[in-house]
Amino acid sequence: MKKIMRLTILLAMFLTFSVNYVFANEHKGDSVRGAELWASSCVHCHNIREPADLSKRAWKYSMNHMRVRAGFTGQETRDILAFILESKTSKDSE
Amino acid sequence: MRKMTLGITLSIILSPMSFASSSEINELKNEVLLLKQMMKELKKSNDELRAYQNTTAKDSFVPASRNAFSRLEASVEELKTNLEGNEKSGFQLAGYASFGWQDAQNNDNEFDLVQFSPIFHYQYGSMFQFEGELEVKVGADGDTEIDLEYAAGNIFLNDYVGLIVGKFMSPIGQFVQNGHPSWINKMPSTPLGFGHDGAAPTSNIGIELRGGLPKFANTRSNYAIFVSNAPVFGIATDGDTIIDASGKTSSNDVSKTWGGRFAVNPISGMEVGVSMASGDIAEELAGGKKIARDYEVVGFDGAYHYDNFMLKGEYIKQKVGENDLSMLEGGIWRAWYSQLSYQFQGLNLEPVIRYGDYNNPEIKRKQLALGLNYLFSNNVIAKLAYENNKDKDGNAVNSKANDNRLLAQFAFGF
Repeated sequence: MKKIMRLTILLAMFLTFSVNYVFANEHKGDSVRGAELWASSCVHCHNIREPADLSKRAWKYSMNHMRVRAGFTGQETRDILAFILESKTSKDSE
Repeated sequence: MRKMTLGITLSIILSPMSFASSSEINELKNEVLLLKQMMKELKKSNDELRAYQNTTAKDSFVPASRNAFSRLEASVEELKTNLEGNEKSGFQLAGYASFGWQDAQNNDNEFDLVQFSPIFHYQYGSMFQFEGELEVKVGADGDTEIDLEYAAGNIFLNDYVGLIVGKFMSPIGQFVQNGHPSWINKMPSTPLGFGHDGAAPTSNIGIELRGGLPKFANTRSNYAIFVSNAPVFGIATDGDTIIDASGKTSSNDVSKTWGGRFAVNPISGMEVGVSMASGDIAEELAGGKKIARDYEVVGFDGAYHYDNFMLKGEYIKQKVGENDLSMLEGGIWRAWYSQLSYQFQGLNLEPVIRYGDYNNPEIKRKQLALGLNYLFSNNVIAKLAYENNKDKDGNAVNSKANDNRLLAQFAFGF
């Protein structure tokens, strides 16, 4: 069992690196896709945090934190961040 | 005769006058025409002058306006930069805190919880982030207890791979790694077996790869795989036999733990995950000698959000093998729970029901909990819950396992 688990994980690590090397690509965030993800994914774990809850600066850090916690891809992270930043207004603090 | 003479005289007198008048009219006509011509020329000159003035004014105004506008744009950009930040590296403090009260059977009611958990984030560009969480609590005797929940560097190798080094929350299951913060947990207490030294591993020290995968058949998925130092098996200070599956900086002379979790989102609002881990668990014998025992973990978890309903469930099993050198029996530590909640958004109320079960070689416990939350906002929550606790073996007379409890908690995330 242990050997099978180790071999499986090593194989998974290898595939993860090799496949992702091919597919990895950085594009700007798409706020439409981000809105869909924001509405459907965040609630898996917690109540949705409104864009007004944090500053733009804080959202950038928080979304990287959520990328790790929620298992978002880099592109999904940028999409959600784009939606949040576009949704913020000057009246957010009121 | 006189009349005739007068008529002739008048004719003579008036005739030249009539002639002169006609010529004057012609002169006047000419003058009018001349004036008209002059007016036209004047108007033309005037139009040309205006056009010139306009052109001159525009030429002199636009550069000034453009300069002012450029300066204004630069100022706004600078202000935005100062407010929003465009620095490559930066720091953020996040976290959560909670304050609790309980009234348990056979005990006086008490304010039993003061907890503050700051989370530190340091980020360098889009390639690196450090995150660390402390759990700061006040103990029963008033002392402050501090635990390092996790402290790890995340290197984002590309869009799909994050390499994590350090102490990280166990990726086995969902509650431990994502559901434990008090503003996220919809109940004032953790499900049976999902706290420290229960059936669910809590943290690891080692290396982890995790991230989201490219969509396959329009389905999102994510993964985590890790290798870490082994957990420890032994007897706790209260006499219970426990699996201490929190991260250790020592290998304890046994093999590493290898494991991971894979989850898919088959439909919007749903996530289903499966977790596994395998390796050795260390045990220190009375003489100080350390031995290895087999260690395996299996877990399943699911979450589904529909409308204002949220349904969650999780099952985790840790298995410890036997070793003839040890006096302690191995066995299975198993826990599961299911939780349903609904948010009445107009009222900001959220009723919650949770059922859980926790078995290990020494105890068999069940718990039904009913709760009602008031959401001041999505991250500021007051919770009230009643727990019905059962120890099926009935050997928990002196512990609190059989005590039903009324719990209240105020929690917020920031």
